[in-house]
Amino acid sequence: MGRSPGAGPLAWIAAAALLAAWAGAPLVASRSVVDILVFTGLYTIAGLGVTFLLGQCGIVSLAQSVFYGIGAYASAYCTTHYGWPAPAGFGAGMGVSALIALAVGWPVLRLSGYFLALATLALAIIGHVLFTEWDWLTGGTLGIGGIRALAPFGFQLNSPQRFYYFVWPIAGLLLWLHYNLLHSRTGFAMHAMRDAPAAAQVLGVDTHALKVKIFVLSAVLGALAGSLFAHYVTFVSVDSFGVDRAINFLLLAVLGGAKTIVGAVLGALFITVMPHVLSQFGDVHAVLFAVCLIAAVIFLPEGFGGALQRALRRTPAER
Amino acid sequence: MTATLLLQSALVGITNGFVYALVGLGIAVVFRGTRIINAMQGEFALIGGMVAYIALERAGASMPLALVGGVLAGGLLGLLVEMLLVRPTRRRGGSEESYLLLTLGIAFAISAAVLLLLGRDSHPLPGIGGDGSQIVFDAAIRVHALWLMLISAVGMVLLWFFYHRTRVGLSMTAASIDAEGASTIGINVSLMRTLTFLLGGLIGGLAGVLVGPLITVHYEMGLMLTLKGFAAAILGGLTNPFGAIVGGLTLGLVESLAVLTLSSGYKDVIAMTILIAIMILLPNGMLGRRGRRGG
Repeated sequence: MGRSPGAGPLAWIAAAALLAAWAGAPLVASRSVVDILVFTGLYTIAGLGVTFLLGQCGIVSLAQSVFYGIGAYASAYCTTHYGWPAPAGFGAGMGVSALIALAVGWPVLRLSGYFLALATLALAIIGHVLFTEWDWLTGGTLGIGGIRALAPFGFQLNSPQRFYYFVWPIAGLLLWLHYNLLHSRTGFAMHAMRDAPAAAQVLGVDTHALKVKIFVLSAVLGALAGSLFAHYVTFVSVDSFGVDRAINFLLLAVLGGAKTIVGAVLGALFITVMPHVLSQFGDVHAVLFAVCLIAAVIFLPEGFGGALQRALRRTPAER
Repeated sequence: MTATLLLQSALVGITNGFVYALVGLGIAVVFRGTRIINAMQGEFALIGGMVAYIALERAGASMPLALVGGVLAGGLLGLLVEMLLVRPTRRRGGSEESYLLLTLGIAFAISAAVLLLLGRDSHPLPGIGGDGSQIVFDAAIRVHALWLMLISAVGMVLLWFFYHRTRVGLSMTAASIDAEGASTIGINVSLMRTLTFLLGGLIGGLAGVLVGPLITVHYEMGLMLTLKGFAAAILGGLTNPFGAIVGGLTLGLVESLAVLTLSSGYKDVIAMTILIAIMILLPNGMLGRRGRRGG
């Protein structure tokens, strides 16, 4: 942690190459590939919340689909039903998510381990049923259509390419804020809480309040991603906010490596690009995806991010 | 609300309760023996139901043979999962999360494989004793539901005898309470863990062949069964497999009686709210035995 591995000229070249690859990708890739990369960006934002909870606080959250859904429905409802401007929808989604996360998180975060994971899974199911049943608000299985594309400063974000250049800088900014938070006083308190909860409490860290704060933060990230999602696809329905989505967000965090900064990006790349790559094998692609997943859990317990970090750290030592 | 309606709901609730109890029993057995929350317990039921369906409808096997085949298929799956996947994870020092994710991943793989084999359709299994109904004080109950209760009850009694009266059952308990101590007196702890999964698979397979006629065999049936099973097991205190029976019946009854007053769409909301409330308010389950985490 802390020291960026191998900050020599090689690292700068690598960073520049990555940036060039990122900027150039939509110019060369096909529309469907750019579309997938937009989803990678959206999932990075939502997954960052889950990654944060898991990696820094040791909390397994399967409830992110609920907040993702709240964000999406808030944007959809406020902009189509009330005709509010898009930022109001974003605000409503994040505000409602934060309040619900606070109200639910306060009692539920008293649990730990498996039981907390199960409680969040139960929340995901409750959320999904309510999204389905409250059709006056969500349109039920029919969903809400006709959501306007975002248009910051009059620039219509109505194609995958345009949205790509919008969503990734947001994701990048959030990753940077995430990095700063980890290296702040609060970040150290979180580490202490994860690795030695008793010691952290003795040192005056209110661990329960801290967990609730991080849970609320995670929910806000989920809602933000949900709002962006609604404006990107312009149509939302309950199918997008099921338990499988919640499980996907958790897999993203675990596969990417919850303790690393880039973990969320790597995990999001895996869960969006991998099914696409495997779909060329026809109907078995779902089985293959699950097998990849099992293999990753067994062989890369630290996730892709952890494996990458170890590989980078090893290289300078061998020289 | 008439008395008949109330009785009818209670009968449905008890029937569902036995299913939840069986799934919960499997989860509790695996947790007791290995300290792993098995997120694929519902998939044992899926495989059990699928094998019974294929044996009956495609291979033309007789009913008892198909049922036994389904149960054994669940057991075999449990055995394979433990030996091929859980063991390597343990060797690499698996944490709580990694077992949860591993079993979730296996659940995905199995669900996807069944989708590939059987397609998206629901496949109804014929009920045991035909598809007729029996009238109990004006309320109707399917003959199959009566068989379901009887067979589950027999299975539960057998499990009790297995844990309390047989050498293997006692060894399994010993291995789970104190692995080191058990191995010093000659118990093969790793074999006991494998047998635990075999047992969990058998119970899951039984749940599958019994629930198949009620909710049909469908590639997505596993996850919801697992969750209801969790709720049952946690209501019962998790380490006490027989608590899961009480938990399952309670959950089934509360669910079906709540549906009388609320729209049926909220059934799962009620079950999940109960699950969360019980975990927070009664950390040791309804029976109040100590040590949800310990032996």
